[in-house]
Amino acid sequence: MGTKRKWITSLLAATAALSLAACSSGGNNAASGNSASSGGGSPDASSSTPAATTTASASASPQASASGDGDQPAWQADTSPITFDWYINFSWFNSKWGDDAVAKYVTKKTGVSLNFVVPAGNEAEKLNTMMASGSLPDFITLDANDVAVRKMINGKLVLPLNELADQYDAYFYKATDPAKVGWFTQPDGNIYGYPDASSSPADYEKYGSNFASNQTFEVRKDMYEALGKPDMSTPEGFLNALKLAKEKFPDVDGQPLIPLGLHEFTDNGNYSLEGYLQNFLAIPQQKDGKLYDGRQDPEYLKWLKTLRKANEMGLLSKDIFIDKRPQMEEKMAQGRYFAMLYQRSDFTTQNLSLYQQDPNKVYIAIDGPANGNHDKPTLDGPGISGWTVTLISKNVKDKKRAISFLSYLISEEGEKDMFLGEKGVTYDTIDGKDQFLPEVVDLLNKDRTAFDQKYGASYKYWMLMDTNMNLQWAPPSVEPAKQLEDWTKGKTISMSEFKGIDPPPETKEGIAKSKNDRLWGKTLPKLLLAKSDEEFDNIFNKYLADRSDQDAIDAYRQGAYEANIKKLEALNK
Amino acid sequence: MSANAEAPGRAAADRALGSARRSRWLRKLYKQRYLQVMALLGVAWMIIFNYIPMYWIQIAFKDFDIILPMSQAPWAGFEHFKEFLTDDNLYPVIRNTLGMSLIKLVVGFPLPIVFALLLNEVRSIRFKKSIQTISYLPHFLSWVILGGILATWLADVGIVNKVLMALGFIDEPITYLAEPNYFWAIAVGSDIWKELGWSAIIYLAAISSVSPELYEAATIDGAGRFQKMRSITLPCIKGTIAILFILAVSGLLSSNFDQILVLRNALNESTSNVIDVYVYQVGIADGRYSYSAAVGLLKSIIALGLLIGANFVTKRLNDTSLF
Repeated sequence: MGTKRKWITSLLAATAALSLAACSSGGNNAASGNSASSGGGSPDASSSTPAATTTASASASPQASASGDGDQPAWQADTSPITFDWYINFSWFNSKWGDDAVAKYVTKKTGVSLNFVVPAGNEAEKLNTMMASGSLPDFITLDANDVAVRKMINGKLVLPLNELADQYDAYFYKATDPAKVGWFTQPDGNIYGYPDASSSPADYEKYGSNFASNQTFEVRKDMYEALGKPDMSTPEGFLNALKLAKEKFPDVDGQPLIPLGLHEFTDNGNYSLEGYLQNFLAIPQQKDGKLYDGRQDPEYLKWLKTLRKANEMGLLSKDIFIDKRPQMEEKMAQGRYFAMLYQRSDFTTQNLSLYQQDPNKVYIAIDGPANGNHDKPTLDGPGISGWTVTLISKNVKDKKRAISFLSYLISEEGEKDMFLGEKGVTYDTIDGKDQFLPEVVDLLNKDRTAFDQKYGASYKYWMLMDTNMNLQWAPPSVEPAKQLEDWTKGKTISMSEFKGIDPPPETKEGIAKSKNDRLWGKTLPKLLLAKSDEEFDNIFNKYLADRSDQDAIDAYRQGAYEANIKKLEALNK
Repeated sequence: MSANAEAPGRAAADRALGSARRSRWLRKLYKQRYLQVMALLGVAWMIIFNYIPMYWIQIAFKDFDIILPMSQAPWAGFEHFKEFLTDDNLYPVIRNTLGMSLIKLVVGFPLPIVFALLLNEVRSIRFKKSIQTISYLPHFLSWVILGGILATWLADVGIVNKVLMALGFIDEPITYLAEPNYFWAIAVGSDIWKELGWSAIIYLAAISSVSPELYEAATIDGAGRFQKMRSITLPCIKGTIAILFILAVSGLLSSNFDQILVLRNALNESTSNVIDVYVYQVGIADGRYSYSAAVGLLKSIIALGLLIGANFVTKRLNDTSLF
């Protein structure tokens, strides 16, 4: 009895001891990327692979000749039910394909249902894990400038859309914009991903004056007016306005006012305080064909020092360094910020709820930080590089159905379905123009969440949205969004030539750049918290000196930039 | 028993004895086969999740790219180790990791023992059980949730500041998570709060196996409660304490990754960046698996050294050890 128990306990103890000893290596096992099955947690991944290979091979060969002449969209040929897994590389994306009118309509029409796969936390982590385990879902949508795009293309994890189109659906060429196809064609002559929210140079000519940017400087209307609408475009005026606001409104509903709100601080810095602020100061990204580092621009440093001064005066709340997006959104809905450098589309819901409580409590766009000459801001407007690209994985369940569904989404018919929905249900021809039914517009303007749940129109599924084509159907913007949007008009420029020029992360330059980015991420808060301008200069000079291989990074970026310029010139011919 | 006892020569006798022992061993094994199967599951789990993945440790010496199979990755030798050891981040991350771990070891290790000893002395079973349940309740909350709760409590308008201001300890609210100086205390303190009750369970189990006769004999000899605690309970659970201490020492270079990840921010970065977070940033987020595998491997080797060292020391000091 005694020995028996001892035997068992020692076996169990051995198990425990060994597993505990091995636990210390658990850290690197998880990091090695090969333990995707244990750590990555992608339940969808395992289920998609076997199905993908069987259906793809089953359906590909017999119908290979069905490509046709391109007049007839291929999706119409086969509308049997199929479900595609669609990966969206944004953790905030929480839509489900399903109960809304648009999803039902499109599924009924094309037979396609979608199962969205969204990262729970860090996007790069999830995408890397899927790449490493070879289990990419059928469609992948991610930022067009994401380095993972090139990684997937180089690793042959995604299929060339042109080859798919040649084989299965020549309609793809009819649906797509040749300029966009040209811009996204890779050096190997293939196009792997098609963009959304992309505007070609021709679009710029046609719609340019109406182009809006997301980058705005906002203040709370009632407070700003109570302070006598002070000028906030000079450092002195800016500091003074924040100071006045804090003195006059120390509390918002019993909680302290946060004079200035920003995007969240990450390991790599702060979106509001880099290109965003530089655009407000109209700092060019190139001078005489050479890329120019806006971070070292005197105007930019002057404004960072202004923010340092603001912190010294107690005008930067600690919250802005700590809060993540959910906390920020909560505070915006409470109207706790006086001023913000925050993308307007990222707080539409909160602003709308403020507006519904009291139209005076909303955030409005005003002229923000400007350079010494008071030049007009050069905000990041639509460009041919678009926002995201959508790619088709080599594991795709059914190549033919995938490319034809993609063509459908890109075509005017697909765009209309995604934006307006089903005729008679969400829209109708009213006064000779196809537009939303009145109650649909009403809900859209009042409660976007409810609208998405019920109708799912107005590009709830934005993966291939064409933000120019939809203008013909779009209802006019209404307050409070309209004011913010209108403010940016005429201040936007296309920055396509500067997009996607960073070195790939696995290269020597890429590794150095990641390092420098993290260094900047550590430096930026220190700059703002510096006790004096001298300390600020020391920290900044130390940052400049500590950067590794900056020359090599610059050289790579310059080369990529010049290649982009050539591409753009070719498109303009 | 073997029948050929009269067989000549010592070797044969030994062999016979050996086979007898073996057959007894097999019989015993057969008798407890169900229990063995249950233990085997654990062993299989360990082999699959802890030993098979070790094959991929070699990526620490390679330039591994996730889109190629590992066998095709070029060898890099000790390049990644060299890079880490000359990295500017090396000193702060090691200082933070070791600093927090040592505080945890000094403060956090004895506390569950004391707690278990005190709980053991509680007379009312009902009271004891409720205290035990309440104390290990936080263990079941994930750090993601607990981190959110802590962030709210420790904010400038949070409950901690309200209480401290009402009591007159501070005049101005402090945003605790924004102050690098407080981070270690917050991390260690919240970790102890979360795990105290849970860690005490193993000691309570050890205490409950102490023979009551010892206590009875001591009572007859007129020993008081504290004397019994010192002279009976503690010596009896010495072995458990030693083994857990060895394991705690080997974990010095590990930190509570989930906890640090949710509590860190741009302001407390200087005291909150630990090895695990650094590996996560570089390895998972930047996709440099080889580099982070190298850092992890280095960490594991040091942990193994610590484990053996602590094992040796405790063996010398009180004759109990892990192996």
